[in-house]
Amino acid sequence: MTTRTPPRAAATARPGAPASPGTAVRRLTVRQVRRGTLVVALLCGGLTAFVAQQYEQTFSGAVGLDSLAALADNPAIRTLFGPALALDDPGGFTVWRTGTVAAVLAGIWAALAGTRVTRGEEEAGRADLLLAGRVRPATLVRTALGVLLTAGAVIGAAVVAGMLAAGTAVTGAVLFGALVGGTAMAGGALGVLAGQLVTERRSASGLAVAVLLAGLLARMVGDGVASLAWLQWLSPFGLLGRVAPYALDRAAPLLVLVVLVAVPAVLAAVLAGGRDVGSGRWRGRDRARTPSRLLRSLPGFAVHRVRRPTLTWSLGVGAYYLLIGLLATAMLDFLRDNPVFAELAADAGFARLASVEGYAASLFSLLAVPVGAYAAARIAAVAGDEAASRLTLLYSRPVGRVRWAGWEAVAVAVGTVVVAAVGGLATWAGASWVDAGLGLGGALGGALSVVPVALLCLGAALLALGWFPQAVLAVGVLPAAGGYLLLVLADSFGWPSWVRGLSPFAHLAAVPADPVDVAGLVGMLAVALVLAAAGLAGYARRDLRG
Amino acid sequence: MAPSAAPAVLLDSLGKRFGATEAVVDLSLAVPAGEVFGFLGPNGAGKSTTIRLLLGLLRPTTGRAEVFGDAADDVERAHRHLAYVPADVALWPGLTGRECLDLLAGVGPGTDTAYRDELVERFGLDPGKRARAYSTGNRQKVALVAAFATRAPLLVLDEPTSGLDPLVEREFRRCIAEAAGRGQTVFLSSHQLAEVEAVCTRVGILRAGRLVEVAGLEELRRLRRSEVTVELARPAPGLERIAGLPGVADVRWTTPLQLTLALTGPPRAVLRALGEVDVVRLDVREPSLEEIFLDYYGRAAA
Ligand SMILES: Nc1ncnc2c1ncn2[C@@H]1O[C@H](COP(=O)(O)OP(=O)(O)OP(=O)(O)O)[C@@H](O)[C@H]1O
Ligand SMILES: [Mg+2]
Repeated sequence: MTTRTPPRAAATARPGAPASPGTAVRRLTVRQVRRGTLVVALLCGGLTAFVAQQYEQTFSGAVGLDSLAALADNPAIRTLFGPALALDDPGGFTVWRTGTVAAVLAGIWAALAGTRVTRGEEEAGRADLLLAGRVRPATLVRTALGVLLTAGAVIGAAVVAGMLAAGTAVTGAVLFGALVGGTAMAGGALGVLAGQLVTERRSASGLAVAVLLAGLLARMVGDGVASLAWLQWLSPFGLLGRVAPYALDRAAPLLVLVVLVAVPAVLAAVLAGGRDVGSGRWRGRDRARTPSRLLRSLPGFAVHRVRRPTLTWSLGVGAYYLLIGLLATAMLDFLRDNPVFAELAADAGFARLASVEGYAASLFSLLAVPVGAYAAARIAAVAGDEAASRLTLLYSRPVGRVRWAGWEAVAVAVGTVVVAAVGGLATWAGASWVDAGLGLGGALGGALSVVPVALLCLGAALLALGWFPQAVLAVGVLPAAGGYLLLVLADSFGWPSWVRGLSPFAHLAAVPADPVDVAGLVGMLAVALVLAAAGLAGYARRDLRG
Repeated sequence: MAPSAAPAVLLDSLGKRFGATEAVVDLSLAVPAGEVFGFLGPNGAGKSTTIRLLLGLLRPTTGRAEVFGDAADDVERAHRHLAYVPADVALWPGLTGRECLDLLAGVGPGTDTAYRDELVERFGLDPGKRARAYSTGNRQKVALVAAFATRAPLLVLDEPTSGLDPLVEREFRRCIAEAAGRGQTVFLSSHQLAEVEAVCTRVGILRAGRLVEVAGLEELRRLRRSEVTVELARPAPGLERIAGLPGVADVRWTTPLQLTLALTGPPRAVLRALGEVDVVRLDVREPSLEEIFLDYYGRAAA
């Protein structure tokens, strides 16, 4: 059938190699992150522009200069909301009110994107196909870094554009944009670095996000405790106060931000070479010592799956709320001396800050966001397992989808109670340390009162699992994160009450300062159940992916 | 660069250890340019690990690997000579088959686009679909088309046909034959022994990370035992002593007039013994490749 020609004849007929394999890889990476970049840039730019503009209409000039000085001086205010500088300026107010939120959003997105385009591609085996071409592993990592740094720059530019569109000062806008964009860059570099260290994408994402949030905690401690002020230099969030856009407009601290981006980026690029493709620098054991006894029933399996994440989230939430407890007395003293800010805080969604119960209640309402995110993340993991075909074998057994997803949801629901309770305990421990007079019952009650909001998140995530399985995480965090933002904006700018009423937080009583809002609680549980039921119904009948 | 001087694949006391697992141990092998080499072994023997070492995806614990004289870890040079098809092909779910092919051509060692279009036709691939909508076999076809279209001097194929239907499988064998005809080298790991028998000129057998045999297919058959069946015209009690001859095993008398035996090595002594009796029929059956491999693999379990 074939005639054997001498081997040499072939080599001459070979097509020439394309000039730069890097270009093809770069195009692919851009394609993988461009949609996310666009969404985050629009969110960050839109949110900041919106708040700056609303400020002009509502309270420019309402705050006196001496009150501002007092606000800026108070350690508790600084710890929780960041340093309050130039509140008389729409730009300064926007930085104070949205700076941390925008930076956290951009940073976490970039960190997740960083692990996705590096560790995720290796885990899926797609990197092998590229690396069998003329591409070094180090080139892949450098490309990912380059694209993510550019994405960060785009996000920063969106913030600058938004602030300029709202008519704020140019220098402040550029510095603020540089900080938000720089946070995204640092997050992206951290994500890529974590992808070099850890073998599983999920753990790598967790590691990168944990490091970012530890930076936020360091910022809080550094703002609250004068002797630890140097901690502010360790994270992009702390640098926001050092740069102080619209107030002091210092550019020099941005050099530190450059270092915070460069160190993980260079480490990632160095660690990319000389390792096995498909496994990180840190390898776990390949064998477990004893088989887990939990894996013999569906409920046991569900418990097995939530154990580790519940512990991690509890540790994180516990650390934050311990700090919040420790700050109780400083905060109360300040608000007693400056009633103007009690009002301002009430406008910004922190009513009744004047008593320790009111203080705790205000901050417990924030607890709904991480606990809700925990619930949404667990259901998103179910969707991820499905897409990666890890559920196919399970569902080939006599296991109904509703039964398994139901057990999973029950385990996550119990997990939300655990995480919230740990937050309450930590607050109580911190407050007791400084003799703030917060009872254990009050602290636990206040923390547990936000569980219905987290269950709404669980319900929304299950709804998405049934009907929009690509967007479980985003839909799942909406009731908590979106609802919180909606309440703050509605309260700050006096929006109509029906808009405010869309937020679950509008139906949350300030426990322990007020008694539990039973109607609100029952209503939220009912909505959560309806969402969950609708989601499970959709999940039972739709096609499995993967 | 003179690829003709260096072997296509050179493994020199290559070893890889994962924690406590010795996946590949002291593996030395040279595959000259132009050869179609079959790489065989039971599950977990270390075939994929060896291939990933050859591609520079894994770092060897000991030894080294070369592709046409270029060190495997210098991937920019070494990968100019090769194309690869992995055991299970994962593609970018959002890209179409055509986009995947373009991407792989962009990072690969140069692609003959006219030949690629021809291959798309021959393999019956619909390149307009998104990869998430492909079946297992169709994903594999994308990788195969991308690899063959490069005309790279070395094709590294790790179980490339495990999900292909018989028609595509036949097309695959034709492509291998064409590649061999052009002088390309093929390094093929496969569990489909019929395929190996059809396309390979030489095979290596890996067991528990060690290379236990490298031989041409003919040579392998010759080395292995053949099954000899003898029919006699009348009983020959003198033939009992045949069991004691060198290379003879498993002597069985099915009837007093018929015996079978397994013979390894030169048949001279057996023929001399048979020459003294009245043989009606003599049947020598070569072992199938499958029997040979089962023999090799089986010893892994023992
Ligand atoms: N990343 C890894 N970590 C730990 N052990 C591994 C890893 N990759 C492979 N191994 C081990 O190395 C050995 C060889 O695996 P390899 O994948 O090379 O086998 P194979 O010959 O390709 O098998 P198959 O025919 O099933 O594809 C096995 O014991 C396997 O468990
Ligand atoms: Mg294999």
